Amino acid sequence: MTRTEHVALKGTREGLVLYLDPAADFRLLMNELDNLLKNSEQFLQGANVRCYAGKKEFSEDEQENLTAILRENHLELAGWLSTEEVYVPGKTQSYANEERDARLWEEGMSEGRCLFMERTLRSGKSVQFEGHVIVQGDVNPGAEIIATGNIVVLGSLRGVAHAGAMGNRKASVSAYHLAPTQLRIADLVTRAPDDETDGRGPEIARIKDDQLTVEAAGMNGWRGKAR
Amino acid sequence: MGEVIVVTSGKGGVGKTTTSANIGTGLAAEGHKVVLVDTDIGLRNLDVVMGLENRIVYDLVDVTSGNCRLKQALIKDKRFSNLFLLPAAQTKDKTAVSPEQMKILAKELKEEFDYAIIDCPAGIEQGFRNAIAGADRAVVVCTPEVSAVRDADRIIGLLEASELRNPKLIINRLRPAMVKRGDMMDISDILDILAIELIGVVPEDESIVVSTNRGEPAVMDQGSKAGEAYRRITRRIKGEDVPLMNLEVPSGIMDRLKRLVGIR
Ligand SMILES: Nc1ncnc2c1ncn2[C@@H]1O[C@H](COP(=O)(O)OP(=O)(O)OP(=O)(O)O)[C@@H](O)[C@H]1O
Ligand SMILES: [Mg+2]
Repeated sequence: MTRTEHVALKGTREGLVLYLDPAADFRLLMNELDNLLKNSEQFLQGANVRCYAGKKEFSEDEQENLTAILRENHLELAGWLSTEEVYVPGKTQSYANEERDARLWEEGMSEGRCLFMERTLRSGKSVQFEGHVIVQGDVNPGAEIIATGNIVVLGSLRGVAHAGAMGNRKASVSAYHLAPTQLRIADLVTRAPDDETDGRGPEIARIKDDQLTVEAAGMNGWRGKAR
Repeated sequence: MGEVIVVTSGKGGVGKTTTSANIGTGLAAEGHKVVLVDTDIGLRNLDVVMGLENRIVYDLVDVTSGNCRLKQALIKDKRFSNLFLLPAAQTKDKTAVSPEQMKILAKELKEEFDYAIIDCPAGIEQGFRNAIAGADRAVVVCTPEVSAVRDADRIIGLLEASELRNPKLIINRLRPAMVKRGDMMDISDILDILAIELIGVVPEDESIVVSTNRGEPAVMDQGSKAGEAYRRITRRIKGEDVPLMNLEVPSGIMDRLKRLVGIR
């Protein structure tokens, strides 16, 4: 999640949700929103956003203003969520999803929207996706993938990969040959090690104890964590 | 009906013009009717490399803008009567020609010639888009440097996006001794990233500098190693199955390489 004091943007299973503090002044909200979007990843570009502001109703002018700011940042206002539709801490309604996610996570699983790419990403190519990205090919130096979820590369990952781009620290990056120019998960960044990376086999990068760690995929994976 | 082949690279100075001149001359030496087209408007070189600088009257822009007929602008080569050059304009810029005009020109050239070799300018902007507009095939030139490989990769992606699939790769200025010492990217490192078919490896060779200055492409020089590499490339362009030259690269790498490029 990306947030300021009165504004928060969260990637959910159903898409992006923008939380606007119902108690805050509208001009302040719009200022914060503008800053937030200007500083956030461009993968958001072209995405649809639904907004939630509790019971507060915005005037037509205000709605137009909001739409304009979103547009400027290449986002589309797709509608408003009611309290029933949105997960608000302390409300029981959406616990089902959270609980389900937690249960899956315990079993080493997660689900969500996926983008499959049956091709190689060459230099200069940028892919941004709200969800998981699976590349059935290579990601070459000079190419980048930014995903709110996990990134899986069946071939060599030599470009830049950013998983959990909306702040999901549970996201992972894995590849048959993991040698990224730069690897980011949520807010953590690491470079490729300078030593030779050939022939190490499939690896998975994730955050453990606030550290970005890389380990052999499958062997020290989920179960290894429990040990 | 002939074929239009664009020689491109992304990065500048890696040997597009040298390659165009040598492939064109090589194909002409084998008896084909060939035209070399310099699309590097504003920075023309091909005329110098071919030694035809002093014969230019009209240029590419004169043809595409209708100032003269194609025949008037074509310069006949000094050695081969079946080889021609369509020079670039020196006093204009890349926007003086459009991709649509290049497509029309390519069509016209294909009716006259067996091969039209297009020398592409560096970069990915309009000059590049002009050069590839009418092409049927593409040859990507790359040197064993990380930056050149990166740019070649970008170019291959752009070619694919423009429906120019299966471009062929030429690695230029390889220094076998440096590769052996581990100071230069080797061929398999490059193929690992670019993953396209390799049709030739041209060694770093002083004879290229000499031949460029003389205006006589090295492909005609029987004693030149680079010339030999270009003779083989010429035959591969024609579709012949020619083994890669032995550049004294350690055998293990050559074997891997052969597997990678599908030669036995
Ligand atoms: N195999 C080689 N051995 C030695 N020198 C070479 C070789 N290939 C090219 N050169 C030299 O490198 C320089 C650049 O070559 P060339 O002009 O063909 O590159 P280019 O890709 O056309 O450049 P530009 O992007 O400026 O059009 C020239 O001086 C040429 O003589
Ligand atoms: Mg050139």
